[in-house]
Amino acid sequence: MILRVYLLRRLVLVIPLLLGLSLLTFTVSRILPGDPVGLAAGPQATQEIREALARQFGLDQPLPVQYLNYIGGLFQGDWGQSLYSRRLVLDDLRVFFPATLELTIAAVLIATVVGVPAGFLSAVYRDKLPDQVVRIIALFFVSFPAFWLAMIFQSILGVTLDWFPISKRFDVLLAPPPAVTGMITVDALLKLDFNAFGIALSHLATPALVLSFGSLASVTRITRAAVLEALDRDSVRMERALGIPYRVILTKYVLRGTLIAILTIVALEFGWLMAGAVLVETIFDFPGLGLYAVESSLRLDFEPIMGITILYGIVFSLINIATDVAYGIIDPRIRYG
Amino acid sequence: MAEMSQTLTTATPSPRLENLRRGVYRFRRNPLSMVGLVMLVLVIIIAFIAPAIVPYPEDAEGNVRALDRLKPPDGEFYFGTDNVGRDIFSRTLMGTGLALQVGVVIIVLATSIGVTLGGVAGYFGGWIDDLLMRITDIFLTVPALILAIAVTAALGKGITNVMIGIALVWWPGFARLTRSLVLSLREEPFVEAARGIGAGHLRVLFRHILPNIASPIIVKMSTDFGFAVLTAAALGFIGLGAQPPTPEWGAMINDGRDYFPDRWWMATFPGMAIFLMVFSWNLLGDGLRDLLDPRARR
Repeated sequence: MILRVYLLRRLVLVIPLLLGLSLLTFTVSRILPGDPVGLAAGPQATQEIREALARQFGLDQPLPVQYLNYIGGLFQGDWGQSLYSRRLVLDDLRVFFPATLELTIAAVLIATVVGVPAGFLSAVYRDKLPDQVVRIIALFFVSFPAFWLAMIFQSILGVTLDWFPISKRFDVLLAPPPAVTGMITVDALLKLDFNAFGIALSHLATPALVLSFGSLASVTRITRAAVLEALDRDSVRMERALGIPYRVILTKYVLRGTLIAILTIVALEFGWLMAGAVLVETIFDFPGLGLYAVESSLRLDFEPIMGITILYGIVFSLINIATDVAYGIIDPRIRYG
Repeated sequence: MAEMSQTLTTATPSPRLENLRRGVYRFRRNPLSMVGLVMLVLVIIIAFIAPAIVPYPEDAEGNVRALDRLKPPDGEFYFGTDNVGRDIFSRTLMGTGLALQVGVVIIVLATSIGVTLGGVAGYFGGWIDDLLMRITDIFLTVPALILAIAVTAALGKGITNVMIGIALVWWPGFARLTRSLVLSLREEPFVEAARGIGAGHLRVLFRHILPNIASPIIVKMSTDFGFAVLTAAALGFIGLGAQPPTPEWGAMINDGRDYFPDRWWMATFPGMAIFLMVFSWNLLGDGLRDLLDPRARR
């Protein structure tokens, strides 16, 4: 199938998924107990105030009407309004999403740069000491509670050693570079402002490091399995018989054979880390989607939650599609369809 | 009849039993998984005897000892005391049972939902499969942690709602796994044979297919257990879980956050407890995967 047709078909299939997703979060927000209006109106609010608030947000309508209104709004760029701050959800998402994206990309980079070589090492020295060490370290890191590690790293790297700032995305006393992508490091580079880049990077370093721990183990494990499988191929035996140096076989032939598996796990982990950023953002007071989601949840402010889940749905689907397209680029034998 | 089957099994040991024996041998040869198993047994023992052995069992409840506030670890308070003077050693150990219980409930709930839906989807196929898998896809697209937080917040704070919230986002993995396993067995001769002698759909699915796909599901249960405990602790940390004074590890870490790093012991010991619990489950799960899931054995 031609790439363009394939892409179009995949993109169209995202729509029913998003509808289902919005129905799910809508159900969670409206059917479960909890009194969002009462919470937003405050404890002293009279019955009239509550009713007025409910009317203002359309919460006095029957549920199916509310849902249809919401869906209709989504397609017109109206993603609802926070019951708590009265800000438009889409405006908030525009600010918070790039922060989480930047954090996630940084964490995925760290996990890949460390995890893939570690997995390689583990496979090449299968069942020997390096293999065992790598496996234990990987299991070790994935077993720590992320929020606890975040706290400890924050206080060691940020307070005791004073290497990195302990919170936020940028120096509060300085103005960040003008927002183009919303990712401060990228914006700084676009302006060739290396000072700002350094500041943003130093704010990003600790949270990204802590976030990457969650993925190190799986990246390492999948890489190890893929390398072992690639090493087991007849072609490798042939190459060895031909006298090609083992180092060349590994870097040239085996590595290429494992790219698909590595790509799969990295894409998967990207989604995982984006969701896992919730806890790390909470500790580092990093103003991203995760912090936004937690704060909104605690206030039973469900319009932002619905917006966040739908945004995640879009991002996850796009990542999946991009991964499938990349398969075909890495391995021309794979056909789209 | 019972006697006859007994003699038959002793005469020719069933292949399943033989596999199990070989598996146990392999498991015991793997030092890491043995360490995991031993640690886990210790954890379970601690969970049961904690109320009897800890020096201050009353500290798991709302006990306040104003004179002993924020004492560093010493001979009397092994892990120090918290901001209201409670013994952290007692509270950490008393929290073990709760953490185990939370893990068991989440995993059992998630497995029951996931295996049932995945099994039905894989076995019947057709539109039932389509419908159930689309629903599963939707759940898999929402970030689990955020949905769990939202559901728990909507249901109201508390450890029961945390378990419900997490289980509700945890089942899709089991559904996917079960479906793929059922699909691989659906056309096997023994399934056809069972159908042929008149077994109903549910009987075939639960009595004939399910026992044959139990291994990978058990592996997933054990590896997921640790992460379920972690997730529950995370929700406790955010403040959605067990309410004070319950000695829930995540909430205890949150209590210690304001006192970190000067009074490091408040947050450190509950954190170590979570780590040890999760680490032992992961070691065990790793060993079980080598043992029960032949494809992963490399």
